[in-house]
Amino acid sequence: MIDLDQLDELLRVQEGDAGCDAGVPIMDQYVEIELRGEDPSERFPGTAIHLRVCQGCRADHDGLLEAARRFGDIGPE
Amino acid sequence: MSTERPSAEIDDRPLSRGDSASRRWVDELHPDHPRYEQAVAKLHGVLRRAALHELHRRHAQLPELAGQEFDDVAHQCADDALVNVLAKIDDFKGLSRFTTWAYKFAIFEVSSTLGRHAWQRHPPSREDLELSELPDSLAPRPSEQAERREQLDVLRKAIEDDLTPRQQQVFIAIALNDMPIDVLALKLDSNRNAIYKNLFDARRKLRDSLAAAGYPLTDDEARP
Repeated sequence: MIDLDQLDELLRVQEGDAGCDAGVPIMDQYVEIELRGEDPSERFPGTAIHLRVCQGCRADHDGLLEAARRFGDIGPE
Repeated sequence: MSTERPSAEIDDRPLSRGDSASRRWVDELHPDHPRYEQAVAKLHGVLRRAALHELHRRHAQLPELAGQEFDDVAHQCADDALVNVLAKIDDFKGLSRFTTWAYKFAIFEVSSTLGRHAWQRHPPSREDLELSELPDSLAPRPSEQAERREQLDVLRKAIEDDLTPRQQQVFIAIALNDMPIDVLALKLDSNRNAIYKNLFDARRKLRDSLAAAGYPLTDDEARP
């Protein structure tokens, strides 16, 4: 049985949520800010909110962050 | 999320000015460059490696994907990502490293491909979208306090009475039955963003309904 906190989470919404599409063009910038140890929510507040709530976009973000961290410094040669 | 669709959070300030590797990628990936073929082959290789890694990372999402099919899916995702990168190469503005920008296409390909495979192998049933009974995790038990039972009764009634049919389907499938948003988007012939908007609106309506009935939840604006 879920408690009130879980019900609160089930119905969680936050104003300012930028939605899924807004994150697509900036996700590469977003993860590079994170890789520099900075806070991306200052430049992309709506996407930061969205990523806390949307599991699909969160999974994409996490995958890109890991790929950029592991395989980032590669040139064409 | 406001009713009006928020625009993309565009920021044109370059992060990687002076990133020589990114400039070399862009230069060599133009067809008139003498190293074009080698650069394309190299890019396909790194995109394939990123796709393979991402498929491994998400393996729990579709555990039956294995063996040759697993490799084939990674290869196809790399192929599709490569086509997209080459088609949009002139859109790259140096706002991130080139590789991070390119990996984005591979990650999105893996994401959508896994959604399609999950949809094909485990198509949602009609029951996944209908509220016949509250899920066990939500159903009130006889031992529960009367106020708690009343709150859940209000929630159930609000799902049935206050949501549009589309909002009902989306809320029940994703919030109550844990269906992946991309699978539901395929089922409803829609897209992730539209489904998310339906879910957002459904949640807000249900919160309002609970509050109107005297059972307010946390004020989200006050959340950290």
